[in-house]
Amino acid sequence: MKCDTAKGLIILDLYGELGDAEKAGLHDHIQRCRACSEELALTKKVFSLLDDNRPAEAPAADWEKAWRGIQGGLSRPPSNRRFFGLPGRRWVFAGSVLTLVLIAGILIGKYGLAPSSPPAAIAARTTPDSSSSPNGIRPAFAAHLDDLKPILVDYAHFEPGEKAGQRIAVDENVLRGLILQNLLLKRKLAEKDPAAADLLDDIDVVLREITNQGAQDAQSPAQIRDLIERRDILFKLEILKKI
Amino acid sequence: MEEEKSIQLAREGDPGALRALYDGHRQRVLSLAYRYLRNRADAEDVLQETFIKAYHSLSRYNPDKGLNFSCWLNKICINASIDALRRNRVKGMPVTAVGDVADMPDPSNSSDPERTARNREIRERIDSALNDLSPKQRMIFTLRHYQEYSIREIAEHMESTEGSIKKHLFRAVETLKKRLKRFVMEDGYEV
Repeated sequence: MKCDTAKGLIILDLYGELGDAEKAGLHDHIQRCRACSEELALTKKVFSLLDDNRPAEAPAADWEKAWRGIQGGLSRPPSNRRFFGLPGRRWVFAGSVLTLVLIAGILIGKYGLAPSSPPAAIAARTTPDSSSSPNGIRPAFAAHLDDLKPILVDYAHFEPGEKAGQRIAVDENVLRGLILQNLLLKRKLAEKDPAAADLLDDIDVVLREITNQGAQDAQSPAQIRDLIERRDILFKLEILKKI
Repeated sequence: MEEEKSIQLAREGDPGALRALYDGHRQRVLSLAYRYLRNRADAEDVLQETFIKAYHSLSRYNPDKGLNFSCWLNKICINASIDALRRNRVKGMPVTAVGDVADMPDPSNSSDPERTARNREIRERIDSALNDLSPKQRMIFTLRHYQEYSIREIAEHMESTEGSIKKHLFRAVETLKKRLKRFVMEDGYEV
């Protein structure tokens, strides 16, 4: 068993989600592998810390007020707005959007961006008057920052020295999609919101470095972390998301 | 048995029966919404929405499909929370509100001020680490770690696959480990 596989199984084992054969294989590996044995000990300690300090339960609500709200809502006819709730249609919608984004990307790459015609991906996520107002593109910008945040946080908290050559795994297709989305938003915001465009410029550099992971001239995760820190990317991201 | 009777009566339009179901499940539904949305006002809205949607859909609820009433409500609550988060995003509102949690009193009720301060610091650190997770990762971690649902159940609730849930859970735990590792070491935390 490889250590990467064992690392995933350790978590499932602690949650009691492993079958007998997987469990035996994992324990056999842990007995022979010091790194995984330490990984198990650390995971147990973190779980223990989380259990002893459970996050706050929901604060007590005004149950009667909530009940009155429910009673008021019962007389309303049920909403049939379930487009996003239906798994089949949701994926059809997501697939259509992805196709539009890809087509827009190919066209932009081939012919350049015509200033008078907003890309389909941006247009789909903004209001009809978004081309004349930077506020119209804000929801798309905020959603993009939300998509980016987990990856940037992973790199920002990367701790070197645990294993030489250690990398953070990020799905290549997700990265490509983010880079394209970043490029489209950057072009859209360039004139109307220079601060947002600057941030997207910085993010573009980081995303390209992450994409380059594994190449000979690649920056290490620690260097990418320093880049994120130096340019205050997470701080700017939080600030600009709220404006 | 009593719950089944309440469900049947609520289906027939008995408001008292719906109230009994509300009293029995309100705290759990509110907690789930709050853990996901991290905002008291939004969680209360989702609580109301969950019971209104449940009432209107009771005729479609079928325990023979393998979901007990509690799991069925959870599923409605998760969908309502996702909708609430999406609405907030569209309005450009912040997704999380940490203040609610940081202002909570120390649950250990320790009389030692130093210990109380330390506990508070730990909870704030955990809270901040949970905030760094994506909403989906946070929901999956919450359901598995705090609400002790199995991965199969979570996949059913979230209309996803077990493989996808495992991936998100793994990433969530890895993020928490990274964020809390130094803290566990500093405190000499023992298992």
